[in-house]
Amino acid sequence: MITISGIGKTVGATPLLSNVSMEFPAGKILGVIGPSGNGKTTLLLCISGLLPFDRGSITIGVTSITAEESSLRSEKIWQFRRQSGIVFQHLHLFPHLTVLGNITEAPVHVSGKPKAVAEKEALALLEKLGIGQHRNKYPEELSGGEQQRVAILRAIAMNPEVLLLDEPTSALDPIRSGDVRNLLQDFAATGHTVVIVSHSVRFLRGFADYLAFMGKSELIEMNRTQQLLENPQDERTREFLHHSEMN
Amino acid sequence: MLLALQSLAAYGSPTLRWGADPSGGAPYVYADPANPQTYTGFDYEFAEALARQMRMNAEFVPTDWESIVASLNRREFDVIINGFEPTEDRAREMLFSKPYYLFRLQLTVRKDNNLISSLQDCKTSGKSVGTLVNCAASRLLENGGYIVKGYQDPVGAYQDLELGRVDAVLMDVAAEMFYARRNPSLKPAGKPFHTGAYVVGIRKSDSLLASRINTAIDSLADNGTTERIFRKWQLWDDEQLKLRTKGAETYDMTSRTFNWTEGLIKLLKAAAVTVFLAFGAMIIAVILGIPLALGQSKGGRITRTLCTVYIEFFRGTPVLVQLLFLYFGLPVVGITLPGWLTAIVGLGLNYAAYESQVYRTAFQAVPERQWQVAYSLGMRPFKAFRRIIFPQAFRIALPPMTNDFVALFKDTSTAFAIAVWELATAYRELANATQSYLGIGLIVCLYYLAMSLPLAHYAHRLERKLQRKSTGILTSGTEQ
Repeated sequence: MITISGIGKTVGATPLLSNVSMEFPAGKILGVIGPSGNGKTTLLLCISGLLPFDRGSITIGVTSITAEESSLRSEKIWQFRRQSGIVFQHLHLFPHLTVLGNITEAPVHVSGKPKAVAEKEALALLEKLGIGQHRNKYPEELSGGEQQRVAILRAIAMNPEVLLLDEPTSALDPIRSGDVRNLLQDFAATGHTVVIVSHSVRFLRGFADYLAFMGKSELIEMNRTQQLLENPQDERTREFLHHSEMN
Repeated sequence: MLLALQSLAAYGSPTLRWGADPSGGAPYVYADPANPQTYTGFDYEFAEALARQMRMNAEFVPTDWESIVASLNRREFDVIINGFEPTEDRAREMLFSKPYYLFRLQLTVRKDNNLISSLQDCKTSGKSVGTLVNCAASRLLENGGYIVKGYQDPVGAYQDLELGRVDAVLMDVAAEMFYARRNPSLKPAGKPFHTGAYVVGIRKSDSLLASRINTAIDSLADNGTTERIFRKWQLWDDEQLKLRTKGAETYDMTSRTFNWTEGLIKLLKAAAVTVFLAFGAMIIAVILGIPLALGQSKGGRITRTLCTVYIEFFRGTPVLVQLLFLYFGLPVVGITLPGWLTAIVGLGLNYAAYESQVYRTAFQAVPERQWQVAYSLGMRPFKAFRRIIFPQAFRIALPPMTNDFVALFKDTSTAFAIAVWELATAYRELANATQSYLGIGLIVCLYYLAMSLPLAHYAHRLERKLQRKSTGILTSGTEQ
């Protein structure tokens, strides 16, 4: 479960987030939609604990940080960062490690899991996504879609409360995207929260349980996916949905 | 106009261009402390007197002691007047005048040393003896099988004696009087021994000049000029009277025989020292470069400033000066390092500044997102650096690091300035012994190449191996 209460962030005179509050249950998938440059990625980075914010607080499960704590290199922020895993738009796999190395790096060297166990678990997930044969390859030898699956598995391997994905559709490999959807749905079904930032309404329709619409630096509205798509309350949401349907 | 006057003057009375090494050259030829633009010394005064006697103008050409014979034969000057001793090996490639002064050698030790009272004591107890390179004393020691440490000037030799880097110093009495006699921490060991002669060195082709110089030396001895000069410098003794009686002077002549097998083995040993210096210095540079790079790019304001000052200081001053500073300067504050260690530390500190810049660029080339991914996977900064950032940066840094290592390899030659017996020092010494700058030079170059080429080759292979990993040139899997 994620609770965001009144967080704000301003860089110079530009507000990136203004008083954003939302509460979101575990075990569900949340899609965050809205035009580019409206604070979606900023929100994701704040939830991950990687980007300090100026006001408010964020709670994941039983761990929470305030605005003050978000900018300090304290024990608390390291604990908070462990609560979420992030998959960046450009993935940023570790180029010096193999597929297996990317996934098992943190379980082995942070959690202290025996290497053989970590590799066995990673391999099972790779097989499930149909890329087990690539386990000893380096990231640059993989297609974009394959790389994305490795990046997701790398984040999932640490078993975070929350999985955050930034614009995953840009790397999705259409033939295999069903596998990725299943993987994310299975992950959510085991009591985790999945937050997906995307500008593609089509990708989230029938996949995300909830949708949140971000206007300029603020949360305009949030609802169950079907309700938000069929019956948007705000004029700005309606306009955005109208445009994205034409695309 | 000026040019015309000069050539007129040269025509009117010809010039005797004489060469000597003024650095640490007292009391022979050295910069006058009272008036540093001019030179003084007994050889300076003798050269002036000699030229006047020959109705010529004396012109002093400062040169380097170790290669003084080669410079004479390259016609940089016409004669050598520099406490120059006739030796059998030199006799093959030049002419000597008759002696104008008879000198003796003096052994010096530290005040608290009661074990050494003669050269023989050094040999039996295996103690090292320092001396000037390429002189009568060095030939005597080399032929006698002593542990010799060669110096470029007496100052360095006596300083190392004081600091315990060498156990005794053997030098001509003239130099010993000037540099060691008044030093309270040193004392003479035994009486002066070995009678040698100072002569004027002349090119083999200038036999006419040689006979004119001999006539002038006789005249200066007969008319008391020589005595006046050496009395002034407190170097006159009754021994010198023998020079007035023609043919009565007897002196010992040292020689040097060169054995090519022995020479090659000496070069091989020197090459091993060079390798040792290069690897030692590189290890320091590679390790010290990391905190410097991190401090400069990620540290607070004070750390950043300190790192920048360090880096700019070592990059902005010559490594040779830094080595001399460490070797001769640090003992002033009580830190006395042996030469080889000074070379390793000095070159290491210097190259650390360069390596830090290589690292900094390499770290900056790793995207900030890699840090963020590592943090979100639960890594703390140190672990993120060690496991994620460093391996990526290393791959970027490897090619420039290889370049630096090859450069460092060649820079070990600066260690000759602090009397470390590495390949460049060996080259100078052996080439001087044989006067075969070309032959020995080629061999030394081959030694350097034999070391640097494999290095470049292995670095290149490592680079390719690392690159394959990331770019997938090596298509390990064919199932795609």
